[in-house]
Amino acid sequence: MELKNKVGILADAAKYDVSCSSSGSSREGEKGSLGHAVPAGICHSWSDDGRCISLLKILMTNNCIYDCKYCVNRVSNDVPRVMLTPDELVYLTINFYRRNYIEGLFLSSGVFRSPDYTMELMIEAIKKLRYEYNFQGYIHLKAIPGCDRRLLTEAGMLADRMSVNIETPTSDSLKLLAPQKNKEALVGPMYFIKERILEERENRRIFKASPKFIPAGQSTQLIVGATPESDLRILTLSQGLYRRLQMKRVYYSAYMPVVFHPMLPAVEKPPLLREHRLYQADWLLRFYGFSAEELLDYDNPNLDSLIDPKSDWAVRNYHLFPVEINKAEYEMLLRVPGIGVKSAEKILRARRIRALDYDNLKKIGVVLKRARHFITCKGKFYGSTFREEYQLRQQLMPYQAAKKIRIEDGEQLSFFSQILPRSEEQSRFLVRAGEV
Amino acid sequence: MLRYIFDGTFEGLLTCIYEAFYRRQSPDSICCWYQLQEDLISCCTEIRTDQEKADRVLKSIRSKISAKALDHAFHAYLSEIDDIGVWIYRYLKLGWKIGPSVDSCLWEDEVQMVQKAARKTEGECHRMLGLLRFRELQSGIFYAPMGPDHNIVSLLAPHFAKRLSDQPWMIHDVKRDIAAIYDRKDWTIALIRQKKALPLHGDELEFQRMWKQYFKSVAISSRRNLRLQKHFMPSRYWRYLVEKN
Repeated sequence: MELKNKVGILADAAKYDVSCSSSGSSREGEKGSLGHAVPAGICHSWSDDGRCISLLKILMTNNCIYDCKYCVNRVSNDVPRVMLTPDELVYLTINFYRRNYIEGLFLSSGVFRSPDYTMELMIEAIKKLRYEYNFQGYIHLKAIPGCDRRLLTEAGMLADRMSVNIETPTSDSLKLLAPQKNKEALVGPMYFIKERILEERENRRIFKASPKFIPAGQSTQLIVGATPESDLRILTLSQGLYRRLQMKRVYYSAYMPVVFHPMLPAVEKPPLLREHRLYQADWLLRFYGFSAEELLDYDNPNLDSLIDPKSDWAVRNYHLFPVEINKAEYEMLLRVPGIGVKSAEKILRARRIRALDYDNLKKIGVVLKRARHFITCKGKFYGSTFREEYQLRQQLMPYQAAKKIRIEDGEQLSFFSQILPRSEEQSRFLVRAGEV
Repeated sequence: MLRYIFDGTFEGLLTCIYEAFYRRQSPDSICCWYQLQEDLISCCTEIRTDQEKADRVLKSIRSKISAKALDHAFHAYLSEIDDIGVWIYRYLKLGWKIGPSVDSCLWEDEVQMVQKAARKTEGECHRMLGLLRFRELQSGIFYAPMGPDHNIVSLLAPHFAKRLSDQPWMIHDVKRDIAAIYDRKDWTIALIRQKKALPLHGDELEFQRMWKQYFKSVAISSRRNLRLQKHFMPSRYWRYLVEKN
């Protein structure tokens, strides 16, 4: 088969892996070698679904011995099966890289013959890239669940990032949808990788030249919407992964029916808004000092669809606000809806020189649309007043959503609607006011 | 209205700032000669670029303000936004008055204008690190045309000199007729006029086809979102993108 067609099939099968980041590693290139890695990562293109393309995301093969219900590559699915040889893969990567199409390689694979055999194939390809072609670009490698620890160690020395997909938030759902995988096979490698990272970091403290073990850390991915878990359950899981496994990223992928199966829910559209809200909450966990329990609890275990998680938290904890912009600590500034890491840092820098008022804030580029309800500047409050919680919520919603609610709330008068006669007391008041 | 006219180089701009300081004048506009629009009320003074004067200003920015401020000024200059020259002058003037903390005075107009312009240049530069596409020519040189809003060739070159250090390449700013050329050892900036299409290497089109195929296959059709795509990758860049052509 022509290489172009193989690329088509294997990229098509790999596209449901969400991760495409190329950040977190700084590999220095040298004269005569090809490539280097930039810590911030670089996106090279954006596909028609608006997701960035940074790495050549491709499977080694879409042959698979497993039969996971949600997966396009499951053994019982009738699709053409192809396989790339390590040489073909290297040829593609190098030539795409030389043309600046990509930042590196994201290599995954269906499980061919056995986990060990597949992993060995993948390692052979990357070894070729790193040693024969002196390739210093970014490599993200998927760890095949159930492969030998020795292979994981070997792969970690070559790759910048590794990941094992956790797939579903609970082991019950996993048992249902991917009967041949079990939780231990997924979480085991994660723990192993974490231990190895710590170990190698310790080694590097003593021996500077000791090789880096996946410098960009590990990430994972889970599917949202295929199983009935609540957002609280998912966020608690992510929090655990960040804290206990020092995961760099957890990716959420809105479930979309790529295959039909009686055990899977019949959804027409992927739950993209839910995915978006989960990412927002995920950012709050990682960069804003929130915990999952603060954002959600057992009474409302799902994120609000109309306003973002941070605004929702602020409305529920309105007793903590408003905060004085010139005095509040950094941690508290970060908790104001509409103020992010960049704005908070700008405020800190600017207020060291002089006390800021509302116009100053506007000028330094802090977006005040939502923030104004939660701050005071030099003691003055610029938000709107409200009596009930829902009124504040409406202020924080996107305009269209709020408008819709307002119309449902009050009655829209039309030319033909009957207006009730005014009560006695009201009309007396109006007479006194000289209005009748 | 006092207007300084310089030759369009960064050294020229720095000389203007030097002259403004020692002539005790405060120009209302600093522009380069090829952007000049004559009017009746301006009083134009031509400033001749002087390397020595420019070096003194450069040194003074580094020692009295900060290296960061120099970066901001230089990147703002590269943005080629209308009238940015005089804003850079005002920004540096404020910098000499209050020292390294000038970059924290974000409420001042001159700081805002210069930082905004610098951010635009840096932003486009980062974007172009990804969006630049090389094509292998018959001669074996990798050639990348582009048409950026700001003058970013000199900022892109060091990145690619490090990354693609074992292949000869050329980054061509078609809008400004300048190019960065790399010969496996060093890169230089050169003026270039190249309007004809260059002959491609035999394998080049095959790789372009494979890349297009990859680009098409990797998109998830049920999540199609062209608006989001355009947001990240504005259509003015599409002309030189292999996958969008």
